Amino acid sequence: MVTLGRAITAFSLVVTAYFVLWNTSQFAMGGAAARFMWRYQRRRTPRDRALVARLASPPFVSVIVPARNEALTIVDSVRALLALDYRAREIVVVNDGSSDDTLALLQQTFQLVPAPLAFEQPVKTALVRGVYRSTLEPDLVVIDKDSGGCKADAANAGINAASGQLVLVIDADTMLEPDALSRAALPFLENAATVAVGGYVGIANGCRIEGGRVTEVGMPRSWLARFQIVEYMRSFLLFRVACAVGNGATLISGAFGLFRRDAVIDVGGYDHTAIGEDMDLTIRLQKFFRARRQPIRIAFVPIPVCWTQAPEDWNSLRAQRCRWRRGLLQVLWRHRRAIANPRFGIVGTGVLPYTTVFEGLGPLLEISGYVLTTIAVAIGILNWSHYRVLIAASVLFGAATTLTAVILSDLGTRRYLAGRDLALLCAAAVLENVGYRQLNSWWGCVGTVQAITGKGGWGPMTRRAF
Amino acid sequence: MSDLSLAFERASLWMISAAVILAAAMICAVIVERIALAWHLAHRRRVESRYGPLVRRALDGDAGALGVLVGSPARHRLTIARLLIVPLIADRDPGRIAATRGLVRAMSPQPSTGDRWPIADRWLRSRWWWRRVVALSALGLLQATNRTARVVAALDDPNADVRNAALDALADMQDPAALPAIVVRLHDETLQRGRRAAAIESFGSRGEAFLLELSRVDPANRLGYARALAICGTGVSRPVLCEWAGDPRAEVRAAVFEALAHVGLDDSAASLALHGLESPDAAVRAMAAGALHGWTGGGDAAPHLARHLDDTWTIAVRAARSLLSMGHAGRVELEACATRSDVAGALARQMLWEAKGPW
Repeated sequence: MVTLGRAITAFSLVVTAYFVLWNTSQFAMGGAAARFMWRYQRRRTPRDRALVARLASPPFVSVIVPARNEALTIVDSVRALLALDYRAREIVVVNDGSSDDTLALLQQTFQLVPAPLAFEQPVKTALVRGVYRSTLEPDLVVIDKDSGGCKADAANAGINAASGQLVLVIDADTMLEPDALSRAALPFLENAATVAVGGYVGIANGCRIEGGRVTEVGMPRSWLARFQIVEYMRSFLLFRVACAVGNGATLISGAFGLFRRDAVIDVGGYDHTAIGEDMDLTIRLQKFFRARRQPIRIAFVPIPVCWTQAPEDWNSLRAQRCRWRRGLLQVLWRHRRAIANPRFGIVGTGVLPYTTVFEGLGPLLEISGYVLTTIAVAIGILNWSHYRVLIAASVLFGAATTLTAVILSDLGTRRYLAGRDLALLCAAAVLENVGYRQLNSWWGCVGTVQAITGKGGWGPMTRRAF
Repeated sequence: MSDLSLAFERASLWMISAAVILAAAMICAVIVERIALAWHLAHRRRVESRYGPLVRRALDGDAGALGVLVGSPARHRLTIARLLIVPLIADRDPGRIAATRGLVRAMSPQPSTGDRWPIADRWLRSRWWWRRVVALSALGLLQATNRTARVVAALDDPNADVRNAALDALADMQDPAALPAIVVRLHDETLQRGRRAAAIESFGSRGEAFLLELSRVDPANRLGYARALAICGTGVSRPVLCEWAGDPRAEVRAAVFEALAHVGLDDSAASLALHGLESPDAAVRAMAAGALHGWTGGGDAAPHLARHLDDTWTIAVRAARSLLSMGHAGRVELEACATRSDVAGALARQMLWEAKGPW
């Protein structure tokens, strides 16, 4: 009994240390992120942002929109994309074997006609059935293809057909900010080593949306969506900004990723067997350039460049989180040789080990820590002080960390301007640590089991019109 | 075990206190930050709503409005400056720039000298880089050519953001006296490449003569000069570019054909471009194919280009686009190729479809 008690005490200490380390590292990232965002705001003066508009030939961007059964939103999405303030761009919609009216709606609205479009196919994809061009919008190309069963295959078809030197891959329900492309293209003009640019993805739930564009930012009614807003703030404004500061980004969100087309083709495009295809591609880009000792820079725009819908029902959220978990574990496993490998610089020695410990093992440690400590306290092996330490380290420190992200968001992005919205954000930052975060960790454990047993699919995802 | 429990007890109390204080401090920080932000925004809105209409009227020549602006308190001057200067980023109308410059001068403490930019001058000397950036932007947008030397000096500022802002400012100023300073920094890798290109572009062909002159004494950097001529070159550069087409470096030859595409071809340049199509280097072939865009002179360029429709993809695309631009001769070659079932055939069909112009 004494040995068991000691073992449980030791484990409880490990879990507490994990929470303290994780939250301390997040605080440190908050400091780096604050400096980065402050510099970003100082540097990105209106004159600085005007550079793209001043150039006679800015980099040509192909906006790739993989769409599968997106009839509800596709027309508004395409209209919003055609209204972007960046003139050197084309829109490539890839209809990935939709069984709904996605293609028919596009054909009808934009008067699509079958058109010959020659393109090389450096990346293998499912069969392309046809290419359409709009007689109304010269910059719109629609690729109709057999379903490849994943977004990666559709994105690859778009990359093949793209004529731009840069490709922006987004989700069909992503709503871009009007100046998103100008902001994201700037790092490519500044530094020739830039191969990709990611950006902060905001949550559109609760916002006013007109014509496929967010016109007024607000808080949603659902607490589930509110928790996800502060969760995104923490993820994008702490970890990802810190990664960008150290040029060690390993994830450019699938909702918004601007890449140099030739670099994506060099690494073989998106891997259609990867569940987390966005993270997999980013890591492969890092590995490819670093292994060859070629300069690489992956930049990050720390203000919302686009908005996306977050799931507001438990089933969709659970499926999404389990899928993300499986994707993360698969990517970490695939790139396990890069972990702690100095050949890949900061990515190998810093970011991937951190991700493995705090994101890979995190949910398992958290849940087992909560369960074991609770049982041990209940049967008297541990006293209440252990429990208090664990709760202080996880819940209270966690709340302080998330509040840091809220401050950064408020200072750096200034989107939730109403006082009520800010109060709700603060409340969500505290409350998400009581229940929601633990639930997420639990779904992480479920996702881990699914990854090991090879079960779990895409799951339900309820789409709503804008 | 009891020692361990005691240690845990103490640690728990310490940790809970620390975590609660931290969380409370964060909430306080949010509240303070928001109050400060709200005050700042409200103050700015108030000043802007007060001076916005006055600025518009003063720009239209209203002496009364100008008088109010001249008499405005010093604490409002920054907001007024923002109201005056920021619109100049999008609106580069010379009349508006001159009117704004006149207003700013009139508002300076010693308007009689006509040479005072008090805030900009002070900020240009500031130890904070972001203030120097703002001052440079303002001087550039106002085309304060009497400060060109100061702005040129800022190209050597220890801070990279300031150097790039100085380059932007010189591009905005359009002062020919600054041209040599821009051209000699063409190869300065510490300046952003997009900004270097924009600066060269902003002067247009006015920079060409100096570029050509400098290139004669600096053949090692010919690549940079050729790229710059691809932005601002005219027919004057053509003989020099033709001479450079024989450069042993493939990247220089590719840049030369890119520049020739910009300045346009004559018979000898077209002949060189046709010769470039046979280069073993893909980049040279691609640029040579692009240089022939719109060429309708001699040399039977169309059949030559048609042979490259099944070349490497980037070359094939440029060859197809050039064929499309060649009128009848190009169309004949495309139609001949359109019957093929390979990528070259698809490319030809695409060009013929685009030539029909559904838009």
